Order: sequence, then structure tokens, then C-alpha cells
Amino acid sequence: MDNSIVISTPPHVKAKQTTKSIMLDVVIALLPCAICGLVYFGWQALMLELVAVASCVASEFVYFFIANKGFSNKCRDAKAVCLRWWKQFDLTSVVTGLILALILPPATAWYVVIIGSIFAIAVVKMFFGGTGKNLVNPAATGRVFAFLCFAAIAASTAYTAPNFGALMDVESSFVSSSATNLAGLLPSKGDPTSNLHILDLFLGTGVKGCIGETCKLAIIVGYIYLCVRNVIKWWQPLLFTAVFGLTAWLMGGFFYEKYTLDIALFLPNILSGGVLFAAVFMFTDYVTSPKGVIGQLVYLIVSAIVLALLRYYTHIEVASFVILLMNLFIPYFDKFLIRKPFGFKREKVQKEGK
Amino acid sequence: MKAVKGKLYFGGIHPKGAKELSSSASLEVMPLPEVVTVSTSQSLGKPSTVIVEKGQAVKEGEIIAKADGAISSNVFASVSGTVTDIKEGVGAGGNRETYIVISRNSPDGATAEAEGGAFRFPPLDNPTAEEIKTRIFDCGIVGLGGAGFPTAVKVAPRTPVDTLILNGAECEPYLTCDHRLMLEKTDEIVRGARLIAKAIGVTNIIIGIEANKPDAIAKFEPYEDIKVVILKKQYPMGGEKQLIYVTTGRRVGLGKLPADSGVIVQNVATAYSVCEAVELGKPLYERVITVSGKGIAQPKNLWVRVGTSVKDIVEYCGGESEALKKAVLGGPMTGTAIANYDTYTHKTTSGILLFTAKEASADEPTPCLNCGKCADVCPMHLMPMNTAFYSAEGDFEAAAKYGNVSACIECGACEYICPARRPLIQAIRKTKAELRKLNQERK
Repeated sequence: MDNSIVISTPPHVKAKQTTKSIMLDVVIALLPCAICGLVYFGWQALMLELVAVASCVASEFVYFFIANKGFSNKCRDAKAVCLRWWKQFDLTSVVTGLILALILPPATAWYVVIIGSIFAIAVVKMFFGGTGKNLVNPAATGRVFAFLCFAAIAASTAYTAPNFGALMDVESSFVSSSATNLAGLLPSKGDPTSNLHILDLFLGTGVKGCIGETCKLAIIVGYIYLCVRNVIKWWQPLLFTAVFGLTAWLMGGFFYEKYTLDIALFLPNILSGGVLFAAVFMFTDYVTSPKGVIGQLVYLIVSAIVLALLRYYTHIEVASFVILLMNLFIPYFDKFLIRKPFGFKREKVQKEGK
Repeated sequence: MKAVKGKLYFGGIHPKGAKELSSSASLEVMPLPEVVTVSTSQSLGKPSTVIVEKGQAVKEGEIIAKADGAISSNVFASVSGTVTDIKEGVGAGGNRETYIVISRNSPDGATAEAEGGAFRFPPLDNPTAEEIKTRIFDCGIVGLGGAGFPTAVKVAPRTPVDTLILNGAECEPYLTCDHRLMLEKTDEIVRGARLIAKAIGVTNIIIGIEANKPDAIAKFEPYEDIKVVILKKQYPMGGEKQLIYVTTGRRVGLGKLPADSGVIVQNVATAYSVCEAVELGKPLYERVITVSGKGIAQPKNLWVRVGTSVKDIVEYCGGESEALKKAVLGGPMTGTAIANYDTYTHKTTSGILLFTAKEASADEPTPCLNCGKCADVCPMHLMPMNTAFYSAEGDFEAAAKYGNVSACIECGACEYICPARRPLIQAIRKTKAELRKLNQERK
């Protein structure tokens, strides 16, 4: 026995999964979406992904360097600070950058991506204390920031492929609420073109949308990978999508002159826009979801309903806004939805009440 | 009775068992050590009072320290010899303990064994409940599962009890001492269980065994009066409250004892020592210890005398095979890491594990991700991350409120699963200690 022996509190064996391995799993799960972006939108999409990841990692590094006094004393400790950064580097900024790129339209200018990345990492994450301390989802906030700052560009040139394209395709027809128009889009069930439309939405072929959000198949592949690797809970995206789909479907009934519920209208809502992507990769984010299972359940259900309602009234993709909004309520979920310990008896509370 | 499957509960983890290292090693009696160092803190509660003097000759099995108060236990000389020293020292857990050192070689060179055999109480034939209880107290029997609660207190419950549960789960990875005992001493365990059942006046005996020990399950099935429950392989299946729930479906309330739900839980090793105490009159000064881990040359299941130094045991098992990262007294999930081999076994020591760097994780903690995995695996359905968060800020009352620390059984599942390697158990223990301090101040 020598001096290298370690003493600590139990347990002395640990699970294999670490923060870094989880983040690596998320990156791997995002790869199918990233590749689909490259296939559907060309090299521009790949360039945006790389720019986003690079600028996220870079802004994290610069913030760390400054905060740890890398510049003081004429950069004397610069090497040590760099080493420390590398030691604590846990791939979270890579995940943020990748998600941010995947929820932006392919025609976004590169500088918009950089500004969004810097905002996401420096302001949203690092200002609040780095990994695990951010109040809101960095990628969603970065996207909202970019969207609000460059709305003018969005209206004119850079956003010609509208970021809410797929959704508009379906829902603009809802707005017109004319039966014929809708029938043109979503013909009766017997017609093979109906299935084709759904299939197009599912595969993302010929659909306008954000880089990573269009191909639902890739998202589902990522979802299965995350479940297999035990990174997310399998029921979370399912619950979210189901509640969202149901709400949107019920709301959608109002588009008609007579309130109708056609089962054929159930899927387009889920398959259009970024709902699926948000359900798998963003609403399951560890840092910005409530701590207990009950809290997560309530959070997902409320978020899904809010998203469906907001989408119905605004007719644009508001997933990022809903994430941002709902994240702000998480401290309340954590405060009021505490699990009862095993063996807790309710009658005890009643006695105290008397 | 034919084995039935137990219920399931939410939470729990599935660590790598690593039991194959030592599960095939039959029980082996370790040669008597030259010197034993017996601590007087052998059970929960107060340390026993020393009743021998320096230089006194003692026989194996002779009482050397008397129970002090209700929650305490008698301590016995584990070898014949001379008391060479009575000293104060720091135990593996960091608490001060009194040690009685017995040397087999008396100063004048003659070994003490020649002077006569071991001390025994008179064997009891068909004893009454009262006689069994007295014998359990006299023989200093404590719960051998790890906590070391005096068995004499447990078999005298204040509330009516209808079931005795034998804990043969052995859910901790690496440990195989109970498994080997169940295989090789099945009949003694059953007889001991019947004696305990008689003492508390119940007829319903259940034994819970994890599904990874099918041979042990098969061994207990022929006994008609014992109900065998197969437990899912899950940690902490052997936790008292979890075991009661999966075998009987009863939930033990917060801050309540199992007896309040009409159940008494005893470890299989405890049942074995009760059998020996009643039938042979042998006090508790010997137990089975698993010596395992990748760091030991020959993993073994040994009969070891209480007070044997870890050094002697490691040497007997062939010494270290690789560079060590951690040495642990007890199981890997709840045991105590030791700094050196000058530590001595207790009645409650169930294992000595030598871990290499590959087995024992010693990663630096990284920031909490708030992933909630600790809450998902908590068998008591607590929120360990809240405890860790608030106790780091020094707000121990909030830590207790939002983390429900008082219900924590310190099984270690949360820290096992934590991807950020947060020291959660440390935070929980710290919070518990600070709360005790706060409560005392208030009084």
C-alpha cells in the first residue's frame, strides 16, 4: 500500500457515465440531423454548423480565459489557464453550438450565427456560472436573440427560405379556413398524395425549414440513440409530442366552418416545424428542466399546451420562445413539486391540519 | 417453500456485481493471528465498558467488555492469550475507540492455548423465548449486515410483530460472505431463524434472496416453514425498508422502525450466530469476511476472529496483486475507505476490498448538471441534489427541507449514478451532522 491511496466517503464504485460522455452521446445523436442538413441544404448548412460550434467553443474559452485571469501579469499564467480550461472542457458548448445551428434556417448569414453563439455561451451560460448554472436553454435563447435582432433581414433577404416554412405550408391554409384550399393540401384519406405529403414532412424532402428540424427520421434516430444510451428518459419526448399533437389537433378543429376533428390533421402538426426536434433535444435538456419526475411531467405537459396554443395564434414556429418562457418557471416547479419520500403517509398531514 | 418473486420498487441502481471474484471460494478458516485488537465499539449505541486489566490472561470467548446500557453489546476475547494493552485509537470511520489488545504469546513465551479450551455458555436444549433473548444478549450478538444494531434489542419489540424476514439479499457488489454462508450453513441459518422467531413469538418466516444467487434459493426451498422470496437484482434490495416492501408489501413509515409495521429483519449471518449461541453456547467473536477486489492476489471468504488486523488478512490472502487506489472495509457502496492496514475487523465488518485504479473511481467532481439521475435512483424517493446544493451554501435547514435528508438511508445509489461525480453522500452526512448540532443547540 503506498501513498497514492485515496480516501473518500462511500460509494467507492461509480457508474461509467460522466458529464463528458453524456455530452458526447448528445453530439452523436445530433449527427444524423446535421448530416440531413448537409444533404438537403448543401454546404452552406455544414458551414453554419461548423461556425456555430467553433464560435461557441471559442467564446467559452475566451470567457474562461478572462475570468481566470489569463491576461493578467502579461499572460504569465496563460498556459496554465489553457490547461485548466481543457481539463474542465465537457463538450457542453459543442452541444449548444450544434443545436443552435440546427434550429436556424439554412440561409442565415454566418455573422448572425456567430452573434447568436456568443450570446448563448457568454451571456446565457457563462455569466450565470457555466455548465449547469444557466437559467434558460442557451441554444434556444441564442436563436431567439438572433431572430429578434435580425428580424429585418429575416423579412427581406437572408430569410427568404422562411424559417417557419414547413409550418406555413400547412397552417397558412388553416388560416384561410376554406375547405377547398385545405382539401388541396390534405386530401381525403383514400388519395395517395395525402400519404405523400405526410411522408414529405417526415423525411423533410422538399420542405422548407431549419437545418436540423426538417428531417424527422434523423431526429427519431437520434431519439432512439439517446434512449439506448440512457441519456434521456424515453417517455419525455413522447409525452411532449403526444400532448402537443392532441392540443393542436383539437385547436385545429376550429379552422373549419363546422368544428371537425379529422384524424388526418393529427400528424402534420407534429411533423411540421421544430416540434419534434425541440421535444427530443431541447425539452429534455438536463440543466433547464425540473428536478423531479413529477416536476418534469407537469413541465412537459404545460410546455406542450403552451406551444400548441401559441403556435395556433401566432402561426410561426415558437418552440424556442416557449422553451425560453417555460424555463423561467422552473424554479417554481422545483420549489413546489417535491417528491414525497418512500413511506410517507398522507394522514400525517391531515392530523397536523386539525 | 417454493420460491416466489418479490415486488418491485422505484429507484435503485444496477451496479456491476463483481461477485464472481470470490463467490466460488468456499468458506475457509483463517489461522489464528498472533495479536488481536478488539474494539469496544462493536455495535450501534454506546461503547462497552472494559472489564479486564492489562496483563490479565483471557480465554477465547471470555467476556472482556460489558454492554453499557440498553443499546450496546458484550465484547469477547477472540483468542486465548494475555491482555497486553488497553489503548485509545481512531477507528476507520474517524471516531475514537478503545482497543483491547490480546496477544496469544504471553510475555514469558508460553502460548496461552495450553491452559485450556475456549469459554462456552452452557448449550440450551429446547429453550423458552425468554432464554433465547437472554442468550442473544449474553453472547453479544449484533446485526451482522453492517449497521450493527444489537439483536437483543431487536428481538424485544414494543409493538406486536407477525413476521420475521431474513435478509439474504446481499445486494452490495463484491461481497459474497452471506452467499457462501447460505450455501454451506443452510440448516444452521434455518435453525437460528426458528430460534429468533420463537423469541419474538412469530411463525411466519420469510427469506429474501437476490435472483443472482439461484443456488442459495434452491438450498432454502426444501424447508416447509420458510417462505423464499426471489428479489430482483437491484441495489439496495437489502435495505431494510426496501426488503420489507418487496417481501411483504408493507411500507415502513418515515422515522418508524420495522417493528411498527409488524416486521423484524435479521441478516442471515445473524441468524447463524444466534444458532451457534443457543446450540453451542458460543459468543459472537468470529464471522465470515469476504476479501475481494482486483487488488488482492487470492479473493477468499474467510472465518475471521474479531479484532484481526487487516494486514494479517491481506497477507494471508497473498498480498496485493496490483497497485491499489483504494482499500475499503465493508461493501463498496457503504463501506469505509481506510488509509492504512493498521485497522482491525469488527463484528460488523463484512468485507475487505482492495480496489485498483480501474475499479475505484476517483474522478474530480464537475459542476452539477441538474440531470436528476440521483433522484431517479433514490430508493427512498428523495432529492439528493437539493441537499448537496443547499448544504454547499451552508443552509442546512433548507437542505433538510428540500432534500428530505432525515429519511436518507445513505445507500450511496445517488453518488454511484452521478455523472458529475458530486460528493452527495458527504453532503448528506454533513447536513445530518449539522442538523443534530442545531437540534442540540435548541434544546
